Amino acid sequence: MMSKVAIETHNLTKIFKSTSRSLEIRSFLFHREEPKVVRAVDHLNLEIKRGELFGLLGPNGAGKTTLVKILCTLLPPDEGNACVNGFDVVREQMDVKRSIGALFSVGERGAFWRLSGYRNLEFFSAIYNVPSRRRRERIMEVLELVGLKDKAFEHYQKYSGGMKRKLALARALLPDPPILLLDEPTTGLDVVSSRSLREFIRNDLSRKAGKTVLYTTHYVEEASQICDRICILNKGKLVACDTPDAIKGVIKKDEVVDVRVRAITDAQIDAIKTMEGVVGIGSEMEDSVLGQRRLRLHLESIDSLSVVLDFFFKEKIHLIDLRREEPTLEDAFIELTGTGLGE
Amino acid sequence: MFQEIEKIYYFMKRDIISFSTYKTNMALMVLSALFGALSYAYLGSNASMQSVLQTYHMSLTAYLLIGMAFNTYIGQSLTLVQKTINPWSLEEVLVSPTGLGTFIIGSSAWGFIWSTVVVAIYLAVGSLAFGVVLSINVVGTVLVLGLGIGTLVGFSMIGAGILILIKQGDPVTWLIGMLTSVFGNVLFPPQVMPYQLQIISYFVPQYYFFTCIRLMMTGWSIQMILPEILTLTLMCAIILPLGYLIYSWCLRTARKNGTLSWF
Repeated sequence: MMSKVAIETHNLTKIFKSTSRSLEIRSFLFHREEPKVVRAVDHLNLEIKRGELFGLLGPNGAGKTTLVKILCTLLPPDEGNACVNGFDVVREQMDVKRSIGALFSVGERGAFWRLSGYRNLEFFSAIYNVPSRRRRERIMEVLELVGLKDKAFEHYQKYSGGMKRKLALARALLPDPPILLLDEPTTGLDVVSSRSLREFIRNDLSRKAGKTVLYTTHYVEEASQICDRICILNKGKLVACDTPDAIKGVIKKDEVVDVRVRAITDAQIDAIKTMEGVVGIGSEMEDSVLGQRRLRLHLESIDSLSVVLDFFFKEKIHLIDLRREEPTLEDAFIELTGTGLGE
Repeated sequence: MFQEIEKIYYFMKRDIISFSTYKTNMALMVLSALFGALSYAYLGSNASMQSVLQTYHMSLTAYLLIGMAFNTYIGQSLTLVQKTINPWSLEEVLVSPTGLGTFIIGSSAWGFIWSTVVVAIYLAVGSLAFGVVLSINVVGTVLVLGLGIGTLVGFSMIGAGILILIKQGDPVTWLIGMLTSVFGNVLFPPQVMPYQLQIISYFVPQYYFFTCIRLMMTGWSIQMILPEILTLTLMCAIILPLGYLIYSWCLRTARKNGTLSWF
């Protein structure tokens, strides 16, 4: 009987030893440099159920892409293990590859620019073992699914950014895999294309076709709109894993205040972080010319606000606007990680 | 005006800084020029070449024609594996249920077909326009071609493996290319060089490849050049598996370090 779990990881860890491009050779030959150690994925335990649309949320460098690459066998883990569709990503690589369709954050660069969309998919359908008698039909099916049927025979180099992204998704769908690993699928898309792609993933792939989808993003709203469950990653560690509403519920007890200020420095923001009653702070530059920033303050109680306002007064920080807010998923992220998503 | 000159300066500065970060590539380009000059200087020493060619029993035209024609195979074999490592399509292919062998052979098949067409054009032009007489030993030619390609693919895998790790300017492919042009018996017989340099040729597989293929194209039998064919076979038997091992190791290392798509 098929397990109810589509993807699971146990103490999964990936360590990168350097950021230097040619360090492998230099350290192999001379043993000079001590490599810098970065834990991109750190003892991660995860369980994704079959048919689930699972969001992996985190800032840049949180370990999302590394996790996707481990799950699709491109990167071997250093510790722990991971299973996809019941197959081990190290010992049963071919079975894992037969179970997945992957879309990378730079997926459109893997296509062949001088071929048409159809010819690109024809090549990939062969290497993804789509039976030759079904190939043409399947290619037209996926092109129709992603809305590119009319552009099938146009040269790939003439495609817009959105069309290239859709073709990359079509490529992932070609072998009709039960599991889809989509790494930041809406990156580089305009608002309309981004929304239509999200709706397609949620309605067609997840709801109708019943596929298991692992969807990575650093956009909080994107994750909260479409995902059944969300896992928040920060510096390779899992900091929360639940439904979007449940994660928001974690911080319902907090007071969230949205503040717009001018002429505030990073050092002053750091000083606010350490104040009594301040649980966390998110910061976003709104206008670099005017030096206008939006701060999202998480306070233990509204009384703590007076301490912050005194600080603004003393430091001559110009207060433009102040509002009490309902906590959002982004607030949950700030609370759970102590940083904003853009940081 | 000054502003425009300043802009040109900054374009140039950008390129110099970017270029200087690829130090291996820079050194290889300078050395390529030196080796190129050397090989064309020997090609120009026509008088000494004529006397040496008597030992090959062919005209200078036939000698150059066969050398140039089959050099396309060597070039194709030597860069075969490197061509497959476009970082983006490499990841896309490695994530598919496709084996490494299929990937390498599939990515190079068209290159070999095209090289065959180029060789046929060279030989046809040589025969029809310049009256070069060819008497092809088909079995021998196929055998020598297989051994030559196998050896060069081994070198190509070593070069590609190193390229995966250092990302730019693969020194192995460069070295083999240079050794081929000077010591490989492509454009001039090594015998026109000083004796100390000739010795190097005997350690270069291309020397045996070009010697054997020329003789196979001009009616010699396998038995007549058995020692050369056996030497080439031995070199192929060592270099091809060694290349595969090195390539696999470099690929594994880059995957482990997450640097597969860093170019």
